[in-house]
Amino acid sequence: MSTELSPQAAYHEVIELLGPEALKDKLRQMHLIRAFEEKVDELFLMGRTYGTLHLSIGQEATNVGSLGALAKGDYFLSHHRGHGHFLTWSDDPNRVMADILGKATGFWRGKGGTMHIADVANGNLGGNGIVGGGLPIAVGVGLSIKLRRSEQVCMVIFGDGAANEGAFHESLNMASIWKLPLVYLCENNQYAMSTPLSKAFNIRHISERAAAYGIPGVTVDGNDFFAVYLTVREAVERARRGDGPTLVESVTYRIKGHSRSDRQAYRTREEVRSWQEPDRDPILRLTRTLQAAGIISEAEADSLRQQAVERVEQAVAFADSSPDPDPATLLEDVYA
Amino acid sequence: MPVPVYLPRFDPSHKSSTILRWLVSEGAAVREGDPVCEVTSDKVDMEIEAPADGTLAGVQYPVGAEVPAATVIAYVLAEGESTADLPQPAAAAPAKSGATDGSRISPVARRIAEERQIALDTVTGTGPGGRITRRDVETALPAPPGKVRATPAARRLAREFDVPLENISGSGPRGRVQGTDVQALVDQRQAAISQSGATTKPQVIKLEGMRRAIAARMQHSSQTAPHIFVEVQVDGSRIEQLRSAIKARGERLSVTALLVKACAWALQRHPRLNATLEDDVLSLWPKPHIGVAVALDDGLIVPVIHAAQAHSLRQTQTAVDDLAARARSGSLRPDDLAGGTFTISNLGMFAVDRFTAIINPPQVAILAAGRMARQFVPNEHDQPTLCPVMNLVLSVDHRAADGADAARFLADLKAVLEEPDLMLW
Amino acid sequence: MRELTYREALREALQQAMEADPTVFLIGEDIGVYGSAFGITAGLQEAFGEERVIDTPISEAGIAGACVGAALTGMRPVGDMQFSDFILLSMEQLVLQAAKMRYMFGGQAKIPLVMRLPGGSGTGASAQHSGSYENWFVGVPGLKVVMPSSAYDAKGLLLAAIDDDNPVMFFEHKLLYNTKGDVPAEPYRIPLGQTHRVREGRHVTVVATSIMVSRALEAAETLAQEGIELEIFDPRTLRPFDDGPIIKSVKKTGRVLIVYEAVEMGGFGGEVAARIAGSEAFDYLEAPVRRLAGKDVPMPQSRVLEYQAVPQVESIVTEGRKLARNEY
Repeated sequence: MSTELSPQAAYHEVIELLGPEALKDKLRQMHLIRAFEEKVDELFLMGRTYGTLHLSIGQEATNVGSLGALAKGDYFLSHHRGHGHFLTWSDDPNRVMADILGKATGFWRGKGGTMHIADVANGNLGGNGIVGGGLPIAVGVGLSIKLRRSEQVCMVIFGDGAANEGAFHESLNMASIWKLPLVYLCENNQYAMSTPLSKAFNIRHISERAAAYGIPGVTVDGNDFFAVYLTVREAVERARRGDGPTLVESVTYRIKGHSRSDRQAYRTREEVRSWQEPDRDPILRLTRTLQAAGIISEAEADSLRQQAVERVEQAVAFADSSPDPDPATLLEDVYA
Repeated sequence: MPVPVYLPRFDPSHKSSTILRWLVSEGAAVREGDPVCEVTSDKVDMEIEAPADGTLAGVQYPVGAEVPAATVIAYVLAEGESTADLPQPAAAAPAKSGATDGSRISPVARRIAEERQIALDTVTGTGPGGRITRRDVETALPAPPGKVRATPAARRLAREFDVPLENISGSGPRGRVQGTDVQALVDQRQAAISQSGATTKPQVIKLEGMRRAIAARMQHSSQTAPHIFVEVQVDGSRIEQLRSAIKARGERLSVTALLVKACAWALQRHPRLNATLEDDVLSLWPKPHIGVAVALDDGLIVPVIHAAQAHSLRQTQTAVDDLAARARSGSLRPDDLAGGTFTISNLGMFAVDRFTAIINPPQVAILAAGRMARQFVPNEHDQPTLCPVMNLVLSVDHRAADGADAARFLADLKAVLEEPDLMLW
Repeated sequence: MRELTYREALREALQQAMEADPTVFLIGEDIGVYGSAFGITAGLQEAFGEERVIDTPISEAGIAGACVGAALTGMRPVGDMQFSDFILLSMEQLVLQAAKMRYMFGGQAKIPLVMRLPGGSGTGASAQHSGSYENWFVGVPGLKVVMPSSAYDAKGLLLAAIDDDNPVMFFEHKLLYNTKGDVPAEPYRIPLGQTHRVREGRHVTVVATSIMVSRALEAAETLAQEGIELEIFDPRTLRPFDDGPIIKSVKKTGRVLIVYEAVEMGGFGGEVAARIAGSEAFDYLEAPVRRLAGKDVPMPQSRVLEYQAVPQVESIVTEGRKLARNEY
């Protein structure tokens, strides 16, 4: 069954749950993502990055809202558009920037790339360059949690396009029959590269597919931080209780192209601009709500943006002053 | 600050794009996100968007220009800014021309032609447009001589035993020479030699241990030190007298011990020969540390009498005997072998008349003494008299000293051996 | 010493591994009550329970991915792919994930999984159920590739593979399951990455894998009567490959025959040949390096054709004889 949650109801509950300081922190995290991605985009234009990039601008609420519902010690698997996840989980823009600029001081020592940032010891099981690649792996993580009798939960994050991979179906099926402690978070930004939803799906909501596997499926407004947070939180608790997996579809919008070589002929500028309006942009919406609730002032909100910009500048400086990976390490880390 | 408009690098392999159209002219207003320019790329034509609101200015490239990726192509001026605020243009990158120099000949062909010194005007090009290809150059090469068909094993054995492959008939398919064919030939030759009785199979002794070490040192010395050999004959009459006198006391003086003392005396007067030479550095040692060569069953060892000038003749004899005994029993210590500045080798006890010795590196000289033998020599009246005579040959490293140095040393040595009383001086 | 079949030896390895280490579990299709398609896991679900011997739906990518995810988070899964051909449905998880994760994550991860793969022809199972795909994985850094050729090797290599902290592709041969050999009762490990000399000889160096090892041994008996001695090597592990003993042998014999079931072109034999040609053994070759391998066809179904499609004892004898007699 899919439902649309009412944003109005959501935020009171979340304020109760999290409290004003934590909420301000969420806004801060979202600003960090936005500032980071804008800077990385700029670096790309200047030719300072190597390889392409997949930016999360516009998807900050779903990033922060979903990961915010996990506990320390939980796992998540991300995908190629994962900077928002890595930044939120690690709060370490220095190292993420170092990874993106190919330096030795990031998380993967020059080996992985923008799509493969991981911090395994802390539960970040990595991004994935293969669409849907994390879905079967999630089954294994779920099995491992169960066999170890642990109370951890694993959230596997994937896009609308991945829901059509065969692996998606194998994974949901296995997770459902074994009641694995998983949360399937589909970040539906409405385009799989150039393919809009209407051309790839014969159903209205991806969450409807949950029914095929006998598990709950929910669709939420992915640009509403409160809705995302509440829904994912419920799914996480369900998993932790042992009641099995949930499919959460978080509908959002990708402001930039799929990657930097995307001409975006498949959508209009008007459409893109419309998602940047204050009633749709995730950061503007959260700011407005927090201001209305008296939790944050306009000046505070501005300074959060400013601080994020500064932190990102520092991250660039950190990365720039970091050494390149030593060629002598080329053959290392292949085998354990 | 004017905001730069970049031609982005669309993907890692994207090198450049051509400007197809400017959609906005200089001076026109733009909003952020408005397309301002259309360019080519590998996939589809792409639009470049204005990065900010303002006025387009400072267009860097006209239609048709080829622009390297990640380059500024224009600027957007904010309100209040003017073209005066634009940064000075960098030297424009020259547009690449289509045709390149390498169209007449391929790079590989050019390299082969250079290596094999083939004049390109003698080569006919069969590539597109008469382009010279690798194949064309290779056909212009002189044909290699006929090669023998042989296995790698055959070639290795042929190299090892210096057997020309051309003369061997091969037992392999299509006449290929096998390693076994070469081996058979070698064995045949060996058998022929044995049959002729010239040699039977030799006993093979691998050079190891001390023998090998000596071999290495001698080879090194012989190859690196330019040896000169200077010789004198010494009248041994006074030596014999001295030895008899000592024998009468019930003790013994050997020629070797006397040579040690005499050389010590002479070396103090010829410091250039009491030296070591290492890496172009000649060290002149203040005291003579004289090595005495001792023959062992499996080699040669040279224990050293340190500060030989300080001992009396008797003490010298004791030292020589002690070192020789310990050498033979294998109980020399490292100290006994270190620090020598000159060496004496006496083969007189083997009835050798004379010989030349190889210098013991890093020393610069070595004295080879032959036996004392009675010979007829002219006396002061030019009458033949019988006299004990000993041949001394001094080998000297010509890098350290000249023939004249050697001669002067020997002159003094001869003098003191012919008149031992001089040692008191 | 008691004798076990190759099948029983594998089962004993799994059982002993699971007894010793609670993080080891089995996952695959029909491995529970059914005991797996070739009977290797019979009795194990009864002994260890459904949690540790997990039957799955028909989802090869899911099975492989489950192994990756479990291995990544502290377990030691042993996947069963039923027929090695089905591994192709899970290539992405094995090649793009399992093999590369450790490297991409800068050394942070380890993926200690084993994928057991019953492969090979000789049962009339035709083209989609009879393949040999070990060479596909030899080209992937991050994976290990193992092929046991006997009951003794099967147990020792499987225990070593389970112990190894890297993903191991474990290629069994269907025709070997019923073959018998001496197998020690206690757990033992045969080190991965070490080539094994199975037979000593003076005239031809033979490199054989999987079922070709026993066929080469039989051929050696025949040729010995003609005075031709084969020296036979079983790499046991194809990646990483220990070529040292083989190169040493070629220096002695000067002649090489590489025997394997997979299709000749692009197969492991090319790797061995290139290594020999590029080594100091080159100067000792008396004949070209020869390969005897699978014919360039999908596996035919009829018995007669299937037999012709891969090396048999007679063809090894013929090749060995020709090499020794300088006919190449």
